[in-house]
Amino acid sequence: MGLLQPDPFLNELTSMFERNRDKGSVWVTVKRSSMKSKSQKNKMATAGEPVEYRCLIRATDGKKKISTTVGAKDHQRFQASYATLLKAHMAALKKRERKDKKKGVDGDRKDGAGSTKKPKRV
Amino acid sequence: MVYVTSWDEFVGRSVQLYKADPQSTRYCMKYRHCDGKLVLKVTDNKECLKFKTDQAQDAKKMEKLNNIFFALMARGPDVDLSEVTGKEQMEAQPAKKGRGRKQ
Repeated sequence: MGLLQPDPFLNELTSMFERNRDKGSVWVTVKRSSMKSKSQKNKMATAGEPVEYRCLIRATDGKKKISTTVGAKDHQRFQASYATLLKAHMAALKKRERKDKKKGVDGDRKDGAGSTKKPKRV
Repeated sequence: MVYVTSWDEFVGRSVQLYKADPQSTRYCMKYRHCDGKLVLKVTDNKECLKFKTDQAQDAKKMEKLNNIFFALMARGPDVDLSEVTGKEQMEAQPAKKGRGRKQ
């Protein structure tokens, strides 16, 4: 797929996580990069131009590759949406185990929640 | 290559690794939903640090490390990290206070 804008990248990453739910892994690599080839960098160095760096984010599931870059100005917005995306899709990780007790309490809470909320409104 | 077992050690060493060579250090995470496993890796092609987990609480810690690396890589290795970690605490505290008073 190649280089995308941050928002399309996040959409693609979402579907990549979904495609690999039952089988497969997702890799995300983050790296500081100038997005220029070595010869370009050398040219700029000899010309005395400052080399600008951005943060390059690449993702793959072994079949498809997508990438995007974020700069100093927009990385905070991106990292917030990235964090919510990860939270939504990393659901297979184990919660702290308090097996039987929790299940019972959860069931009671669901039943109790409806009845406790209603009196508040009245 | 051995997995680093302590999270704090992993964070400390990986940030150190990045600061020593910002241009060639990369931060990689691998997530496998069907096995519920998460592996984080930081390497500069000479040294490699890895952290493996299957715990949801470590995903929260990872979020903080993500923020650290996004800041370090987008803004540069000299960025003030206390700013990144400090902001989160600032945001979390007022929210808690608000909830407590309302009820």
